[in-house]
Amino acid sequence: MKARPSLHVGVILMLALRNLRRNLRRTILTATAFVIGGALLTFSQTFDAGTHEQMVDSGVRTGSGHVAVEAPGFRVGRRIEDRLPGSTLQLVRTAVAAAPVADRVTNVFYRLTVNGLATSASGARGAQILGVDPTIEAALSPLDEQVVEGRYLEKDDGLAAYVGAGLVDALDLRIGSRLVLMAQDAHKEVAGQLVRVVGIFRTGIGDLDQSVIHVPIATAGEWLGTGDDVTNIGVMVDSSLAVPEIVRHLGRELAEPIARGEAIVMGWQEAMPALYTMIVFDEWGGFLVLGILFVIIGFSIINTVLMSVLHRHREFGVLQALGLTPRQTSSVVLVEGLLQTAVCTFIGVGLGLAVTAALSDGIDISGLYGSLDIGETEIAGVTIDPVIVPVVNPVRILQILAFMLFVGVVSSLYPALRAGTIDVTESMKFER
Amino acid sequence: MSESNGYAVRTAGVWKIFEQEAEEVQAVRDVSLTIERGEFTALAGPSGSGKTTLLNLIGGLTRPTRGEIWVAGQELGALSNRNLAQLRLEQVGFVFQAYNLLPVLSALENAEFPMLLQGVPAAERSERVRELFERTGMTGLEDRRPGKLSGGQQQRVAVVRAVASQPALVLADEPTANLDSHASEALLDMMAELNRELGVTFVFATHDGHVMERSRRLVRMVDGAIDSDETRS
Repeated sequence: MKARPSLHVGVILMLALRNLRRNLRRTILTATAFVIGGALLTFSQTFDAGTHEQMVDSGVRTGSGHVAVEAPGFRVGRRIEDRLPGSTLQLVRTAVAAAPVADRVTNVFYRLTVNGLATSASGARGAQILGVDPTIEAALSPLDEQVVEGRYLEKDDGLAAYVGAGLVDALDLRIGSRLVLMAQDAHKEVAGQLVRVVGIFRTGIGDLDQSVIHVPIATAGEWLGTGDDVTNIGVMVDSSLAVPEIVRHLGRELAEPIARGEAIVMGWQEAMPALYTMIVFDEWGGFLVLGILFVIIGFSIINTVLMSVLHRHREFGVLQALGLTPRQTSSVVLVEGLLQTAVCTFIGVGLGLAVTAALSDGIDISGLYGSLDIGETEIAGVTIDPVIVPVVNPVRILQILAFMLFVGVVSSLYPALRAGTIDVTESMKFER
Repeated sequence: MSESNGYAVRTAGVWKIFEQEAEEVQAVRDVSLTIERGEFTALAGPSGSGKTTLLNLIGGLTRPTRGEIWVAGQELGALSNRNLAQLRLEQVGFVFQAYNLLPVLSALENAEFPMLLQGVPAAERSERVRELFERTGMTGLEDRRPGKLSGGQQQRVAVVRAVASQPALVLADEPTANLDSHASEALLDMMAELNRELGVTFVFATHDGHVMERSRRLVRMVDGAIDSDETRS
């Protein structure tokens, strides 16, 4: 017997294409479901990514930075002993100014953070006191924009404090009020510092409003006897996607202090695990909902292709009588399903990306969530701007493409198997 | 046994038994038959006599319960499903009662289809089919889809499809059953001419008296077995 000339790929493709065209209405209906599903999946992903990017952005500005450098024990005990020397800050600044990461880094901030006590004539409250560089913080932290009275710290401020509204209420403070801050200093002694309230902020986040106090870092250093040491260094980047690269780079550049056990470098995911977990849950929740949507679409594809297979039993019998093997007969159906889903996948994802591009100025969601009077929305302990700018994450887009193609393949498999396992002689009797 | 022995088909003690609702149905019973190359043979008999089943067995569309079948020198029982498909592609042409053209292909493409699967170059495919279309009065209808052809025209395309790839054997199951007498006569003329001039072996399953009259060998079947086998001059 002669060797089979080919797998008849061309013939199978031709038959698949002609059959798709033959039932144009059915093809269009199935394709429309897949395209709309793909566009929805893609856009909802870019929208979610935009929301998450904003949450991360807001979170890292208030918290650790995209990449955090700290002393190893600081995260656990938040003790003043667990601080970084000023030389480490210099190392970080030098490292991020160098190629290849310089283009990705937008800012470096540093803080001296201690837990202490804020005391006024009316009482005392536990407080998280942050010594900050007012100029950097004004450019970076959302707190300075959330002033409700007075002003944020300024470069030449000395004994000034910027205090959360909750703490202000609890201690019966007002602009100009005196406030004594007490905390353990570098010599493990309790030290006090008198400051005056220059500004009051309200974020809408209870934890921040009721405990956070910003003071100039020079004042904090002098008060606590830490000189130019810091407890936190934060590196801000242009996109959270760049975080792994920066973490690796800083890990290499700070190899010596890290080896000496003086410093650790971590991404925001590790530095702010609650925020990270919430985002992961939200992402997977979104995937789950859309996954269910696609399972439903998948069943509609199975149904459509299977109906088409049942309708064409005799044709498949003829194909096998003429010399196609059962496997090749299955291929005709499989290729039909694959062609349709592949084309629809790319169109659907393309459409989703086009919608994303069209809405690149942002989507105002303030109507969807309870809006605060400060014009921002709190989600999971961070404030986000209610105008969400969708973000395209290429890895996620590739995952969507792979997922949709997978659904297409799986949905076409069963009908294809049915087409390949027909009884040829019975199928010839069909509709006779 | 090899193809050089001169027969197109040989069956030896072939049985086909179906299980139907716990009952055995003997569709073909102990059929031994040899059909020489170039024969124009009719398998005749009433409905349920087993002629279509025997045709399906010879064409390798179903396997016998017992017995052996040789087509073009190959014993079908020894072939895998893949090789059986290959044998059908290369050695057997089918003509069905319901024409069974592929609706998404034009008349020309339908007729070329087995050669397309065989990998015959496009020019040769086209030349062979156009020549047969000319012989069968189908010239000018090449681009029409089956739905735009009459029953007689569709069956002529089916015959061209069956013979164009130059198989050892053409199996035709009730080829005239759906045709009027005029179309039926024209189709038989055409197949007789292809048999005479190209030496194509035709085996029909039929209960059409006219086909029986035109055949040169008439094998009558009753209840799955051969009842008579008559060769005419």
